[in-house]
Amino acid sequence: MLEPELEFHPREKILKKRKNQEKINLIKAILLDIFFVFYTILVLQRAIYYKVILDLRELPFSWTEIGLFLVVSIGIGTIWGLSRTSLGARIMGLAEETKSAKLVSEIFAWALFNLTFISGWLVTKISIIDLFSKEGIEGANRIFSSLFTPEMGIFDDALFAIIETIYLALIATLLSIPPTLILSFVTARNLMKDNIFTFSIYYVLRIILNFVRSIEPLIWAIIFSVWVGIGPYAGMIALLVHTIAANAKLYSEAIESIEEGPVDAITATGANKLQIIWYAVVPQIVLPFLSFTIYRWDINVRMATVIGLVGGGGIGTMLMQYQGLGQWHEVGLIVIMIAIVVWIMDYISAKIREAIY
Amino acid sequence: MKQILEVRNLHKVYPSGTHALKGVSFDVYEGEFLVVIGLSGSGKTTLLKCINRLEEPTSGTVRFLGEDITHIHGKHLREVRRNIGMVFQQFNLIKRMPVINNVLAGKLGYMKTLPSILGNFPPECIQEAIKNLEIVGIKEYAYERADKLSGGQQQRVAIARSLMQSPKLLLADEPVASLDPATSNSIMQYFEKVNKELGVTVICNLHFLSLVRRYASRVIALKNGEIVFEGSPREIDEKWFKTIYGEEAEEVEIR
Ligand SMILES: Nc1ncnc2c1ncn2[C@@H]1O[C@H](COP(=O)(O)OP(=O)(O)OP(=O)(O)O)[C@@H](O)[C@H]1O
Ligand SMILES: [Mg+2]
Repeated sequence: MLEPELEFHPREKILKKRKNQEKINLIKAILLDIFFVFYTILVLQRAIYYKVILDLRELPFSWTEIGLFLVVSIGIGTIWGLSRTSLGARIMGLAEETKSAKLVSEIFAWALFNLTFISGWLVTKISIIDLFSKEGIEGANRIFSSLFTPEMGIFDDALFAIIETIYLALIATLLSIPPTLILSFVTARNLMKDNIFTFSIYYVLRIILNFVRSIEPLIWAIIFSVWVGIGPYAGMIALLVHTIAANAKLYSEAIESIEEGPVDAITATGANKLQIIWYAVVPQIVLPFLSFTIYRWDINVRMATVIGLVGGGGIGTMLMQYQGLGQWHEVGLIVIMIAIVVWIMDYISAKIREAIY
Repeated sequence: MKQILEVRNLHKVYPSGTHALKGVSFDVYEGEFLVVIGLSGSGKTTLLKCINRLEEPTSGTVRFLGEDITHIHGKHLREVRRNIGMVFQQFNLIKRMPVINNVLAGKLGYMKTLPSILGNFPPECIQEAIKNLEIVGIKEYAYERADKLSGGQQQRVAIARSLMQSPKLLLADEPVASLDPATSNSIMQYFEKVNKELGVTVICNLHFLSLVRRYASRVIALKNGEIVFEGSPREIDEKWFKTIYGEEAEEVEIR
């Protein structure tokens, strides 16, 4: 019987793939160059020309101008990228290996760096004068002297508030564990890449998690303090949300970096997916997971104090109140207590993590 | 003799572009001890993994006991895998588990998901595991943690694990490459025992020709993803040796 031989030419397939890859890289290089040029023009105009040369307070803004810059950058970037002497081409590994091409991209990279540094300096208004002015020194004096003469009268309240903070962080960490576990398995590339359905789940969840994680707990706390009202509950949910997103990434990276050998071995026995995960994946990740989680509790205690500042409850809220009233001796006590608790948490979590391994 | 495996025109191109197998064809018959030799990178591991589909062949066919298994999947694939044991160079045990659990893992393909995850293995399974540990001579280590054992002992656990599958075919990927010569020989003797006494067909990747001559009933040699030699181990003379391993190669003795 004649076998219906599949049309198959490995060598052509490989060549075609390589060509496609090159095309994609060239497009990436051009996009990079467009960005670099656009960025340079913008920074030159806004930071250097307006701020330094004209010394304007209010920077003028017009969309037509920006649009014009963009068009110019697209033109320059495309031509430069196609000539393969650009920085983008070098980054993508497409640049010509001539001396002049090398020099051009190196000079451009150096200029970009300096431009960024100078405008960064300008934007943050670095001023040695503020740091050592008479008023500045007085302010520093006030803070430091009250740190050393803390008001012990509010010790009970502060203690209660800081315990609230620790519990809040603990609950957020504990509640995060089950959802994090589930999410970490479905966002581990090596477990999900095999078919399109699971891979799209992986992809969508990754995007959502990246988004959630890129929003700082502080901002989550602001959102939730509006949503559920100011207090420890808002702080807890804020920490919970961020912990899930942050730890799901750490956990899934741990899953992605497991030894493949045991997975192969268990797969070869005819085990199904769940059995493979339970026998070959889980034993390899239990310890890193525990370690991450304990460390996260430690981080959450610190974050909980900061979150309190925006209405997340606990010691942070208390700190904000006394700071608002200008009662620096009370602030001093609270700061000292936070420092001690953070130090103790740090020590304990390090010890526990050591003991696990 | 009954044919157990038929490989035809097997190609494997990895996503990276490496063309690891270039049209490999061969047959394996029941009871054989087939040894695959070839330089590092010649495609030995890829070949074994394409047989039990740990890697997907790019084209070509693999028939196991007359059935085309090249494109099966899901439950069907798992049922076929049950009949094909595999032993690896790095042993690939679950390090933190006791030896006995590692051996029991070989039965997973026969178990329902829930009891296997709860570790609820029926008593006859446990007895079988102990029996298989006895076959490879390490019954007394059953309740040690797997990573406490020496390399040779770990490989014996891996053999016991594959025996739990009651395999018809056993694939062994350089099972002695990370062991010392004496241990290598003793491990090879267990493979011989499995082959001769339990009647399991063996396909084994090996590096050392002295081991090949001693244990193989037939040899195929791979070079750059192609079969360059097929025959009995006695036929590998100086000339063939240079063809397989290159002009500069010299045979080293291992006993
Ligand atoms: N997962 C993979 N992805 C991409 N390329 C691979 C992969 N596995 C193997 N290769 C490549 O395929 C070729 C054959 O590799 P293979 O591991 O099958 O050789 P081998 O004969 O087993 O070698 P060794 O004796 O070193 O184990 C090599 O060029 C290797 O780099
Ligand atoms: Mg190999």
